[in-house]
Amino acid sequence: MNCVDGAPRPEQTFFPDPAIDRVLGVVMALATEVYVLRDRTRALEGQLAARGQVDCAALDAEPDAQALAAARADRDAFIQHLMQPLMGQQVSRGAQRGALS
Amino acid sequence: MSSAAPASEAAKDRAFAAAQDFLLGTKTFWTTRMFPALRSEYEARIAARIAPIATVAPAIAAGALDAGNRANGSRPVHAVESVAAVLNDSTLYQTFAWLERHLQRMKYSGRYGLVNWQARDRAMLEASLVGAPAVLDPSLELPRYYVSVDIHQHPGGVSGDPLAGAVYERGARSTTPLAGQRHADLHERFTQQVAALFGRVEVGDAGDASAKTASGLSTDLGTPQPGTPQALLDMGCGFGKSTLPFARAFGAARIEAIDLSAPCLRLAAKTQRDAQFTNVRYAQANAAATQFGVAEFDLVTSTMLLHELPPPIVKDVFREAARVLKAGGWMAHLDFLPQVQPGADAFSRFIHYGHARRNNEPFMEPLANMDLDALLAELGFTDVAIEAFEEAPGALDPANRNWRFPWAVIRARKAGG
Repeated sequence: MNCVDGAPRPEQTFFPDPAIDRVLGVVMALATEVYVLRDRTRALEGQLAARGQVDCAALDAEPDAQALAAARADRDAFIQHLMQPLMGQQVSRGAQRGALS
Repeated sequence: MSSAAPASEAAKDRAFAAAQDFLLGTKTFWTTRMFPALRSEYEARIAARIAPIATVAPAIAAGALDAGNRANGSRPVHAVESVAAVLNDSTLYQTFAWLERHLQRMKYSGRYGLVNWQARDRAMLEASLVGAPAVLDPSLELPRYYVSVDIHQHPGGVSGDPLAGAVYERGARSTTPLAGQRHADLHERFTQQVAALFGRVEVGDAGDASAKTASGLSTDLGTPQPGTPQALLDMGCGFGKSTLPFARAFGAARIEAIDLSAPCLRLAAKTQRDAQFTNVRYAQANAAATQFGVAEFDLVTSTMLLHELPPPIVKDVFREAARVLKAGGWMAHLDFLPQVQPGADAFSRFIHYGHARRNNEPFMEPLANMDLDALLAELGFTDVAIEAFEEAPGALDPANRNWRFPWAVIRARKAGG
């Protein structure tokens, strides 16, 4: 307890690479938000269903081919956005080492 | 102790409640699924290490197991470090440890943390505490050990903000997920054990709380119970959760409840006022040096106080208890000691000490390593008993492999009387 009160105290780490500790923090924060949103959706559906404004059975039913086709472009854009960073490639052109000298 | 939000506030708090519910559910998985899996992995790793030795030197292999499993009586100090060596590269252990620290961090801090939640209602909550009849001492100097660490990962600690008591109270409801809303049972079970020290139940039976459930609690505040203490001091009473069951059980007793935290004492006093109890006086004081006179009490208690204190202060608290107790009076402390649990082994100590580090409890391990028997004898106490405490029915059953706090009761009697 020699550290000065109020001074930053580095967070504990548990994984061999502290980056994992930090990324897991982001994952759990997002998971919390996902659950908050699920809860919100459930509440909304409940209120709307109680007023006869949504058909819960229709909401839960598997989409037909037409509905799937309508969602495809959105699905693909989402996947592109999610997966592109995993490719390790620049999307705008940065300077190449030595190229500007 | 109802703090349920009025219906008009439920929607406003919905996101907080959902996030806290998510964290509690996650902690429950950690408690009931991840911890048993971790113990299994540890046992498998030990077996794999010992197997090659056992074939050539069974006696050495058996000794190695014993060294790891002996309780604190013979205290192989290397054993906990050896558990760390076994689990150091376990991804399951790393994840378990990460979750123990960070689920607690998320419970208190950040957008959906309890601190932020309570702060939204700051004006209303602070107003509710105005006039709460706690006896505060603005001149009391808070010890450095108390203010330099945010215990339980509660930002600012349990005394750093006027709402700290309310935050602590809300947090205590989900500290141990399996207890859930029944967490109060733990305090009532302790109260029953303590009551048994004064009642007709043999002291030797006091470790088995479930056997005395039938003795029940007095709910009639006006009726003195036979054999109950006349004057009780509850040290480190916090927001009064430990004190209220005593107030119910010993309705005719004079009860003094002390703590360092003014915010907690205000909440305790408010809770008592709301519950229309009158027999407890909540006052700000240091348990190591109170203003009470010699031999004022026939019972001194604490609940989850000792592990917050450096060992020299634990000694001071015991000495102070001896000073204020009448001859023959009882002292009973509910706290955490891994070594007195059934099946205590190096793994359970390792887990407890790890919990201490991860939950900002710097004095939990030092308490577990104190020789309390010798200390209490040195201070002149008799009838010393240090035993595991069953915080919920079946908690001490060997079949219970879930994570739990190593609850223990330390009780002793002032000589004479």
